[in-house]
Amino acid sequence: MRRASTLPMLFGLALGLAAGLYYSWRVDPVAYIDTDPSSLRADYKAEYLSLVASAYAATGDLERARLRLAWLALPEPAETLSRMAQSRLAASGLETEARALAALAAALGERPLQVLKTPAPGETPATPTASPTVAPTPTRAASPTPSPTPGSAFELVDREAICDPALGESLLQIEVLDAAGEGVPGIQVLVIWDEGQDRFYTGLKPELGLGYADFSMQPGTVYSLQLSQATIPITGLAAEDCVGPEGEPYPGSIQLTFQQPPASP
Amino acid sequence: MSIRLRFITGLALGLAVGLLYGWVLSPVRYVDTSPNVLREDFRSDYVLMTAEAYGAEEDLARARMRLAALGSEPPLNYVVAAIDYGLESGYSPSDLQTLNRLAVDLRASPANPEIRAP
Repeated sequence: MRRASTLPMLFGLALGLAAGLYYSWRVDPVAYIDTDPSSLRADYKAEYLSLVASAYAATGDLERARLRLAWLALPEPAETLSRMAQSRLAASGLETEARALAALAAALGERPLQVLKTPAPGETPATPTASPTVAPTPTRAASPTPSPTPGSAFELVDREAICDPALGESLLQIEVLDAAGEGVPGIQVLVIWDEGQDRFYTGLKPELGLGYADFSMQPGTVYSLQLSQATIPITGLAAEDCVGPEGEPYPGSIQLTFQQPPASP
Repeated sequence: MSIRLRFITGLALGLAVGLLYGWVLSPVRYVDTSPNVLREDFRSDYVLMTAEAYGAEEDLARARMRLAALGSEPPLNYVVAAIDYGLESGYSPSDLQTLNRLAVDLRASPANPEIRAP
């Protein structure tokens, strides 16, 4: 009898619940119109990242770029930028973007990014555009990333065979330095061999130096290398013949150091 | 309490719980949004980034393409809106100048110029 009396209420409850959920999820769901960049779809996020890098390349304002990247809440921004630089490089016609991405990745590697909280609506926005001072600032902050002197070509200053079994593979290691001896990121390196070619940038492994890049060589293959800002290609590069502590041969590595000549007075 | 009243009470209670759950406890989550729903400050900064990149690249078509992600309005409208927001929010003069330059160039070079009869 008691069960029979509660049945209508339970039936109404179930019906009401279903209607409420249908209305709130389908008919009139919570509308998000004021979203932040972290909610962007993956392709838009990639475009946003590319835009951050392009803006950084134009202004050299690393703090602003760091803040913009923090809004995206990426777990490893420098690595993401490096991967994007490589994929943009593979796509034809996107070299400018690839270079910008690589330069920003290198700059971030020098000073790792801290993940910031996205400001909530109404909160004081940490907008990089809102200048904390009213005083006009017509000049931009100089880029902390070393950059090559325009017009000066890099020259090969050192070529060294490296026999280090700890490397585990035969590497073509490239170090690009400016006239002051600082590593220069974002320099394109072209490696060519009989069956193919590869292009990459310095600075994509910032933990090894801003001007560092490397390429894995196959034993028995001869490579040629050219920097985008060097006039003379380096030819005849091949894995060095090294001998281990017990007399066993193994393929070694080559280290090439390029540097800009000092600017003439 | 009559059967009808019990049914209506249950219905109202269920409706309230359903709305509470759907709107507050577990609302629809938008994770794959596009730049056109960005909050105004982020949207304005997106336009500023475009203007900064344009300042170096000088590629108006690329700038238009980037601004097109913000919606179907003419790109110039987004730049004007960003300038308005920048004026309200205290953007630095150099940022406003950067935005203004893009606005001027967009205005001077319409994407689809009207073809007039000779």
